[in-house]
Amino acid sequence: MEFNWSLMLASYGTVFTPGVLFIICVGVTAGIVIGSLPGLTATMGVALLVPLTFGRPPLESLSMLLGIYCGAMYGGSISAILIRTPGTPAAAATILEGYPMARRGEAGRAMAMALFASFFGGIVGALIMTFASPVVSSFALEFGPVEYFALAIFGLSVIVSISGRSLIKGMMAAFFGLLISSIGFDPISGFPRFTFGLMEMMEGPPFIPTLIGLFAVSEVFNEVQKTGQIKQLKANLNQYLPSWADIKYCFKHLCRSSFIGTFIGAIPGAGGDIAAFISYGQAKRTSKHPERFGHGEIEGLASSESANNACSGGAMIPLLSLGVPGDAVTAVLLGAFIIQGLQPGPMLYKEHIDIVYQIFASMMLAQFVMLFIGMAGIRLFAKVILVDRAILTPAIFVLSMVGAFAMRSNVFDVYTTLAFGILGYVMMRYDYPLSPILLALILGPMAEANLRRAMVISAGDPSILFSRPIAVVLMGLAVVSLALSIKSQKKVEARLAEMERTLEKETAS
Amino acid sequence: MKVADIFGGALGILIGAFAIWEGTKMPVDVVMKIGPSFFPNILGGLLIVFSAILIINALRGRSKGKVEPYRLSDKGTQRGLITLAAGIVFCVVLDPLGFIPTSIVFLTFMMWVMGKRNPLLIAVTPALITLAVWLVFEKVLSLSMPAGVLADYL
Repeated sequence: MEFNWSLMLASYGTVFTPGVLFIICVGVTAGIVIGSLPGLTATMGVALLVPLTFGRPPLESLSMLLGIYCGAMYGGSISAILIRTPGTPAAAATILEGYPMARRGEAGRAMAMALFASFFGGIVGALIMTFASPVVSSFALEFGPVEYFALAIFGLSVIVSISGRSLIKGMMAAFFGLLISSIGFDPISGFPRFTFGLMEMMEGPPFIPTLIGLFAVSEVFNEVQKTGQIKQLKANLNQYLPSWADIKYCFKHLCRSSFIGTFIGAIPGAGGDIAAFISYGQAKRTSKHPERFGHGEIEGLASSESANNACSGGAMIPLLSLGVPGDAVTAVLLGAFIIQGLQPGPMLYKEHIDIVYQIFASMMLAQFVMLFIGMAGIRLFAKVILVDRAILTPAIFVLSMVGAFAMRSNVFDVYTTLAFGILGYVMMRYDYPLSPILLALILGPMAEANLRRAMVISAGDPSILFSRPIAVVLMGLAVVSLALSIKSQKKVEARLAEMERTLEKETAS
Repeated sequence: MKVADIFGGALGILIGAFAIWEGTKMPVDVVMKIGPSFFPNILGGLLIVFSAILIINALRGRSKGKVEPYRLSDKGTQRGLITLAAGIVFCVVLDPLGFIPTSIVFLTFMMWVMGKRNPLLIAVTPALITLAVWLVFEKVLSLSMPAGVLADYL
């Protein structure tokens, strides 16, 4: 597909109107606040606020959600720098350099660099997204059921292989999620499965309530058990943008990390936390002063922050062009697209090319909005992270339930939310990762429907699965990624343990 | 974590077995050879396999990570259980009682559970939060909330 320049310019015109800009500002501000509050992740923020977009036009809704996504990725760095707690998992790497800088009295410099790096990464991610996703989608137009099946399998294999401490628990979570996704009418013959005779289960567990439960309500149960006051460093936030010298000093890392972040974001299943840690490691290896890392080196801060924001643009590429989310947040966004009657995938470029370009434009504008709001509100956001948990946590519960109810005005959805909240809490407590479930809910039906479609075409001959080159490559990659992760499991575990120790040491001292 | 892993594995095996057992009751497709039960059978089977590995690892003392056991005397655990109970009550009474009263009572109670004792704060904040949520959903977004006992007044 040719890149359509005139449509691109027209889309900027459509997005650059007071109404849409206002919505983006609201989204970005909400995103920064959500991101900066520890325990409230970007995934949770988007899931919690999707209900606010019911009944709004697609452009407004999606612009707001993209704004939340970008804002939250930056917001995580605020609490990482000021209170040693990552606001979102993606900001965990930011603590390692950000907090020592703040302790040295350079909180202003660290915050300014975090904002600029987020902006820089976001722009690179958005640019790559704008030019890469039409290409990927035109490529994907050739995809048949076999390729889609292979793609889903590849996505699932990546999620499982990166799902954290225990590979086995990641596998269990993924297969459990896939089983949940098979609840309801089966995609080919329409036979109702595992519905326990409930009408509401016929279409499977409702997506948004399930998400809100898994990611928001579970956190409420987690949060009420904690006590203790948050201690914030006295920070002198006198700087809005990093100095020219700092930018020049970090420029190489900014560029490299933005590309790494976009690339990792584009791999289905890998999200901002991984992008940030990999870029951070890369920056440390290539830095002229690796010994300064861990003691407040601004290069490390710049690379982790630019990577996690670049990741959001990258994660949009497979979402828009293939209908496969790149990370947990885009999985939630997929739900928002479907509520708007838009099915992401190559056909979106055929049927709604206007909205696709408007998404490119609003993603780009969101970065600028983030830069300005971040500069203007830097002192305010530093205060927001001290908001009283005893008020916030119950309010999140109420908002979760209301959001779950609002879509279909159905009390069943409220119970679903609570049930998944309890499930999510128990799983988190015992180290079962939650993201595999979320992605399984999307990739499961995709894998099954396409597998069975392929079987219809071949009249039950499984060799059709190996008849298409792209599909064979994708399945090969799936096997490789699984094999690699099993092989390097020990190494990954050791490194994770080391990261955790460093974080703990930082938090304890 | 050892006991927890064995328990989690056992639960996984049960869920997998249930999926396969339910699958035996589904019709078989003659054309494609694979019917509605094909996918759940594979998933259930693999869930059982990995659950079994988890149990075996736990028995061989290879469980990873630590988890603090629950103690009923622990304040955090108590708050967690109270929240769970309050959450269930919230869901049950939401429809008959209506959103506004349910939400105000729930927020007041939870703020108290989480250690707020300032009477003015406890009296005003829940009402303000509830009103804000209600206004946004009901008036700005025109999404209906359960009206319950206030149905005649809203």
